[in-house]
Amino acid sequence: MTQLVEKRTVDMQIIGDWVEPSTRVLDLGCGRGELLDYLVQTKQVSALGVDLDFGKITACVRRGVPAYQGDMIACMASFPARHFDRVICSRTVQELHAPASVIAEALRVARSVTVGFVNHAFWKNRLDLLVRGRKARNAVYTTPWAESRPANPVSVADFEDFCTAQGIRITRRALLMGDWKTPCPALPNLLAGYALYDLTR
Amino acid sequence: MAIASLLFHRMTDEIEAPSAPASAPRYLAADEVGLVTSQDFVYPRAFTFKNGQQLSGLALRYETYGTLNATRDNAVLICHALSGNHHAAGWNSPADKKPGWWNNLIGPGKAVDTRRFFVICANVPGGCSGSTGPSSPNPATGEPYGLRFPALTILDMVRAQKLLLDHLGVAELHTVIGGSMGGMTAMLFAIEFPRFTRRLLAMATTAREGAQAIAFNEVGRQAIMQDPAWLNGDYPRDGGPRVGLAIARMMAHITYLSDASMERKFGRRTIQSRAQSPQLHSELPASGAPPSDSPLSTLNSQPSAAAADFNIQFEVESYLRHQGQTFINRFDANSYLYITRALDQFDLDHAYGSLEQAFAPVQAESLVVGFTSDWLFPPEQNRAIALALLRAGKRASYAELATDLGHDSFLLESEELYALVRGFLERDQPYASDFAI
Repeated sequence: MTQLVEKRTVDMQIIGDWVEPSTRVLDLGCGRGELLDYLVQTKQVSALGVDLDFGKITACVRRGVPAYQGDMIACMASFPARHFDRVICSRTVQELHAPASVIAEALRVARSVTVGFVNHAFWKNRLDLLVRGRKARNAVYTTPWAESRPANPVSVADFEDFCTAQGIRITRRALLMGDWKTPCPALPNLLAGYALYDLTR
Repeated sequence: MAIASLLFHRMTDEIEAPSAPASAPRYLAADEVGLVTSQDFVYPRAFTFKNGQQLSGLALRYETYGTLNATRDNAVLICHALSGNHHAAGWNSPADKKPGWWNNLIGPGKAVDTRRFFVICANVPGGCSGSTGPSSPNPATGEPYGLRFPALTILDMVRAQKLLLDHLGVAELHTVIGGSMGGMTAMLFAIEFPRFTRRLLAMATTAREGAQAIAFNEVGRQAIMQDPAWLNGDYPRDGGPRVGLAIARMMAHITYLSDASMERKFGRRTIQSRAQSPQLHSELPASGAPPSDSPLSTLNSQPSAAAADFNIQFEVESYLRHQGQTFINRFDANSYLYITRALDQFDLDHAYGSLEQAFAPVQAESLVVGFTSDWLFPPEQNRAIALALLRAGKRASYAELATDLGHDSFLLESEELYALVRGFLERDQPYASDFAI
């Protein structure tokens, strides 16, 4: 799993580059608070995480990262517009019931919204389906379908189409190859393994 | 669910005969605070209540566990709930069957670690466990204050406990912790003494009771005040509205549990279907029983052919009557009136204009914990506190533990809850002194 840990670090570094110092950051699906902890330490942000799991909130509390246990839409709904500088949605969109509402609400409570996701149209995933005729299984998709959480996989093209249709402006984008390190030079919907976007209205 | 069975073990301790003692008494165990002696703090000057009324002096009974450090900043204040008191941990005597009410949380190596923290718990003013309250003698007359005791608020509890902390030489509170009414007290501590309070941990609480909670308190008060033995609060020390108080407690106790937990614990089991120590029921025709023409006389199960059908049949009835019976032996009816009124009056939104404004001065880092099955102070009301703190720009967290034990879940023996509390108290990162908007 060291491969995954490295990938997580890459994600953190790029987001860390994008986050302005001493800003207010809300992390949707904050998990155990690693990203926010990193941003607190490197960018002195005012952090808040949201997650559904008591154990993850406990982990955040233990590392001193403020965290809210509950539904992310309900949480955001209780804040006034532009309360936060940035909302981060890192590797969470594919598990949302209503991603459009979450992104819309995030764009209300923050100036910018950072979305990171695994590109489901990555060529290896396509091959799994095309050649093997089976659900992708690799370091990212570790479980067979019967053991997987409900997922709503998204591709680079899906996401950019969505932003265009919704009038959401993409201010920055980072597209990485399958190693989640090397910048993807071309054909991102086919070649990018991981995509990060900075959005604004 | 293991945690549930643990709590039920605790709850059933009260209705079952004490189990055989272990080879070494539990109070001597290394992870217990052991034998503790309650102490009295007597504030020698006049204490002015929020409504302007004064008492010439005020006594608070309290206990402490652990040691105040050299910098006098390792103090943890525990705030008790409506029917609680200063005896939060340990045993007052080797003969005590049960330790203090939050003994599972407080002790050497426990979630609130007394090797690290100086833990203080005081009986609130208006209470009846040694602190000055309606049952205390009025120095002017020598008789109990009764309803001449000043109207009580949560703010009075906070101010009185601050006097105690000053007396003990506490420079600042590392954490103030409370559940239910104790959560209200803890929140108000962080609001009223912001530079003094570094961390706030409030559980199963509310910034303002809803109509339902007020309604339950009112039924309890009416049960007491409609008892002919209440005598406008001027009942003798050895008497009083015992039936009314028992009924108030029986009803309130239901609100501390949940449908699921009562179903699991009692179901429809009847008394006959379970071998039960017989002395339990002989206690129930309580002393201070109402006259037989009282509408409350059915509580007093007199053996008569017509009434026999209304004797205890179900285990849940037996349990509630036992709760009522044990309560009247340790609680004062006027204190119950005063404290429930203080609970009903507590309204942070109204007192400060809005919840955000109430929390504006707070400097404490906060953790609010709700419990999914708490229908008295439900999760939404706990969530509202955390969200208002966050909107006010404070460092605050909200955690919600899935339990089916109702409001009393905050007293749960749960490793998950312990880990959360310990994590909140012991993390070593420095807290931000101010978290400006």
